[in-house]
Amino acid sequence: MGLMDAVRGAFGLLFNGDPVLWRIVWISVSTSVLGLLIAAPFAVVGGYAIAMTQFRGRRVVIWLVQAALSLPTVLIGLLLYMMLSRHGPMGGLQWLFSQPGIVAGQVVIALPVLLAFTLAAVQAADPRLAETAIAHGASPWRVMSTLLYEVRFGVMAAIISGFGRVISEVGCAMMVGGNIAGETRTITTAIALETSKGEFAQGIALGVVLVTIALAMNGAMMVLQGDAHAARGRG
Amino acid sequence: MLSIARLTKRYGDNLLFDLREFRLDAARAYVLTGMNGAGKSTLLRVLAGLAPADAEGMHFAGEPVRLAPYPAALRREIVYVHQHPVMFSTSVAGNIGYGLKARGMAHAEASKLVEEAMHWAGVLHLRGSQPSTLSGGEKQRVALARAKVLHPRLLLLDEPTASLDGEAREQVLALIPSLTQAGSTVVMACHDRDLINLPDVRRLKLRDGQLEEK
Repeated sequence: MGLMDAVRGAFGLLFNGDPVLWRIVWISVSTSVLGLLIAAPFAVVGGYAIAMTQFRGRRVVIWLVQAALSLPTVLIGLLLYMMLSRHGPMGGLQWLFSQPGIVAGQVVIALPVLLAFTLAAVQAADPRLAETAIAHGASPWRVMSTLLYEVRFGVMAAIISGFGRVISEVGCAMMVGGNIAGETRTITTAIALETSKGEFAQGIALGVVLVTIALAMNGAMMVLQGDAHAARGRG
Repeated sequence: MLSIARLTKRYGDNLLFDLREFRLDAARAYVLTGMNGAGKSTLLRVLAGLAPADAEGMHFAGEPVRLAPYPAALRREIVYVHQHPVMFSTSVAGNIGYGLKARGMAHAEASKLVEEAMHWAGVLHLRGSQPSTLSGGEKQRVALARAKVLHPRLLLLDEPTASLDGEAREQVLALIPSLTQAGSTVVMACHDRDLINLPDVRRLKLRDGQLEEK
């Protein structure tokens, strides 16, 4: 099949509502969103806590979080595989080769991204914001909610980056999910499989979906920011 | 109203100040002067619980309190305003009502107090404005209203007229006496001659780590 035939085939699959293709998209999006929803509260509160608290070993924690950003997802997949396999410590959950297993992987992959971005956003905030909240009698929880609201675009950027990382990863989903059609086959594992079979149409179609999701997420971010950066750039 | 015995502040081995006794009376205004780096802002931040320091004993409104850990009850009685106040990403009214909301005050009651505070500070016309559109003088007046609305026993103002000039400065200067009339003790770190020479203001000077009353 030539490149143009593959592209035509890809758009045919997309616009004719191919159920296999859209099932793959649904599995990818739903597991990624669920993973993010689980990881985000822990990561955002954790990132805030690390940014705002002085404690022994803080620099080591930051170093480990940042190092975790570059962990290969296939390594995370391997560790999770060992944990979730029948004789592993979490084998009783029977999550291996299942969607909950993929979600667990997405949580582990998303955590350091969300944590590191939130930490950076809170650290970059004007220190007078937290001091003003404290000096006006805000409780620690209110100080946190105030500051996180002030750095909301940074937190949103963290969530968008986390989503980008989990929806585009292939190693962990392949190892923990097992690439089972209709069950654990995600966009990336499907692209890998179809390409290995020489079937490019579905791979291109799924790639178009991935790019569209990335454009939509970043477009939403720009709208939320009121296009402030672009305006400054023009000025 | 406030007394602290042997208040010391160090940065590593460097002693910034060592005050044998620090006392403030109720409903009085004080100006705190001194050279740059003398520790004026730091002293205000220590009193607000924003910077650590050592004290042998502390009494507030007749009750013994500790400087560290700083009691939550003191945070409701002592309010600190930065030299360049920062505004939260909400309307002017939302900023002024911030502390009331933090205290869990009912919306209707808080709105009434916010309205009064805006009227006092002359910022009623800015009620719905976003803080990013405010001038330096307007921000300072909103910050004063945000602090005054809480009726603090002790109000700490760090250089309230710094970087203001002309009418903006006059407007801020005009608000200061009414703060003590409302019952607050006000301590202002400043270099501003007009603030220092306000009537009924006690003058404190930080020099070589000691406090002098002039």
